Amino acid sequence: MRRPQFRFGDLRVVALGLVFVLAWGGIGYRLFRVQGANAAELAQLGFDQRLRHEQIEAKRGTIYDRDGVELAVTIYGSSLAADPSLVEEPARAAAALAPVVDADYVEMVTRLEGDGRFVYLARGLEHDVAEEARRIIEEEDLVGFIFEEEPLRIYPSGALAAPVIGLTRLDDGSGVEGIEAVMDTELAGRPGKRIVERDRAGRAIPQAEFLLEPSVPGSDVVLTLDRELQYAAERSLQAGIDRTDAIGGAVVAIDPRTGEILAMVSLPSFDGSDRSQLDPATIRNRAISDVFEPGSTLKAVTVAAALEEGIVRPDTPFETPREIEISGETYSDHGYNPPVMTVSDIVAKSSNVGTIQIQRRLGNEAHYRYLDAFGLGRTASIDFQGEATGRLEHVTDWCGPACGASAAIGYGIGATPLQMAEIYATLANDGEWVEPHIVSEIIAPDGSSLVTEPRRREVVSADTARTIRSMLRGVVERGTGRRAALDDFPVGGKTGTTNKFNVESGEYSDTDTIAWFIGIAPIDDPAIVVAVVLDTPRGELPDGTDLQFGGASAAPIFAEIAETALHQLGVAPTHDADG
Amino acid sequence: MTAGAFPRTAARPIRSGRRARPVVRPLAIFVLAVIVAFFAVIYMRISLDRTAFELQRLNRAIAAEQEHYWDLRVEYARLQDPDRVTQRAAEIGLVYPEDVRTIEVSGVAKTVGGPEDRWTEMRALFSEQP
Repeated sequence: MRRPQFRFGDLRVVALGLVFVLAWGGIGYRLFRVQGANAAELAQLGFDQRLRHEQIEAKRGTIYDRDGVELAVTIYGSSLAADPSLVEEPARAAAALAPVVDADYVEMVTRLEGDGRFVYLARGLEHDVAEEARRIIEEEDLVGFIFEEEPLRIYPSGALAAPVIGLTRLDDGSGVEGIEAVMDTELAGRPGKRIVERDRAGRAIPQAEFLLEPSVPGSDVVLTLDRELQYAAERSLQAGIDRTDAIGGAVVAIDPRTGEILAMVSLPSFDGSDRSQLDPATIRNRAISDVFEPGSTLKAVTVAAALEEGIVRPDTPFETPREIEISGETYSDHGYNPPVMTVSDIVAKSSNVGTIQIQRRLGNEAHYRYLDAFGLGRTASIDFQGEATGRLEHVTDWCGPACGASAAIGYGIGATPLQMAEIYATLANDGEWVEPHIVSEIIAPDGSSLVTEPRRREVVSADTARTIRSMLRGVVERGTGRRAALDDFPVGGKTGTTNKFNVESGEYSDTDTIAWFIGIAPIDDPAIVVAVVLDTPRGELPDGTDLQFGGASAAPIFAEIAETALHQLGVAPTHDADG
Repeated sequence: MTAGAFPRTAARPIRSGRRARPVVRPLAIFVLAVIVAFFAVIYMRISLDRTAFELQRLNRAIAAEQEHYWDLRVEYARLQDPDRVTQRAAEIGLVYPEDVRTIEVSGVAKTVGGPEDRWTEMRALFSEQP
């Protein structure tokens, strides 16, 4: 029998078969891996490519003034970004876009020439600006530019009340200063979650969006501020600062009956909508964070305490020598005062010596008790971030009679403008302290609201408060506060001037002062209390009056603000023909 | 007589052409129905997609209108800005009067209510606004 001969064709068949076997084996193996071993992992990978878990931003609540005017609103703006690797002509693109989005040309070119795959070119663009940028990108045929929608906090009144309202962060929109920070939890709302299926180009596929959790918008916050009065107060204070060349100043206007803060000014200020000009020194709210010695404005507390304790009456006489020495410290009056003065005259003429005499009769213990009861040494309100407590050492830490004498005339004690306004508001409200507050109510997205109910307590009797008010009227009518007088309304108040204390050197300045005026209007039926403080006023009036004193520099600012406020509040003139 | 006695040819039923038609017709109807159903499914699918796109367009329009609403609110607040109003007033020559006279009319005094009593019409819209 003939043995079969090997043929080359058979080898090819075998090789082909082998190739087929290997190919099918490979396919089979791959099939096993894809559909079997790695099936779950690959299926998840596929889902992950198409499905994206996204966070739904919660719309931040609006901040309103007392009349429902928007002070801070969130709208949706855009950010302009770019992928530098796709931008072909950075210089041409920057030349076209930089002026539109108000960006620096050189900075934009630098960013576009960078190595990264993503750079922000401008953030917080409003709709019209973003649309203009889009149009230019289309017209100029620019590639590599991206618009991202993002919440944009708008302050429609610009710099108005900026240190009070505060700021939000650009990245996550959370509040960092002022009411924006204090009420951040209420304003922020709660973000939601959703799953979105997207195509290869990243576009959302219709009907393929699955809501996991809806976002809850933030609550709206209504402030007690009156926008018109706030504006008038800012203008008056700015004019006063310009007149006196002061470093800065603050104003607080309170409705003494309700404790509502109608205006709160801190200058110099900033515009929250223009972050390029932000200076950390202007962000702080001086009305609550700066602590000054209140000087003679605190004499009202010394006298009120003595009246309340029944130690003195308005007509009680006191010897008022030119100087008085207590524990080695010499105290004197500015200018001439008669050798004997009544308590009313001591207040009207702001006699240091007379007030110290009253305090010595009152004693340190009782004096301290009233300083504490009026609110010194602790924050005045819960509505502010970073509010200073001021400085009031416990009476056991006082250095004896000298500390009492200094405290009587407002030295050795530190107070914020808000705390001093709080004290005079108590006197204006017949001795009842009403917690100062700036948040009037919080309105939830469902329309329900939480109205602020301020705490109240009696500090001195109504009789004492009325007596002090009549003395404060004397200050304006015949004392150091004449420049605070109004034509149509009787007002009362107290001037104050202290030498500025230099914390670094630990000494009082011989040239720089802090000038105060705190007034009540109308004094016979108080509707508003305004505290004005100027930091380092200088110069003099044409008649030679030194503007370093509160009666010359701060009192006229009070008069302007009080008059506007009373008209704004609809208070009818009560001043009679005789004054 | 038994059944086997019948001549086979005489007793065999004859298949007529008319009796064959019912078999073809249902088949044709079925095929037609399948074709119609096929196109109907395609049509419905397209309709569904069109509806989805329309829904998406409407949602975008709603979002745009909501944004427009807030843009207008912001614009309104900006137009009311006291600084702007003061500047405009100065531009057209308005000045504060030298002499201000207040006329009191009984019964129209400004009432001071609690914060919840202010701008009540507007706050009624709070839960309605976008």
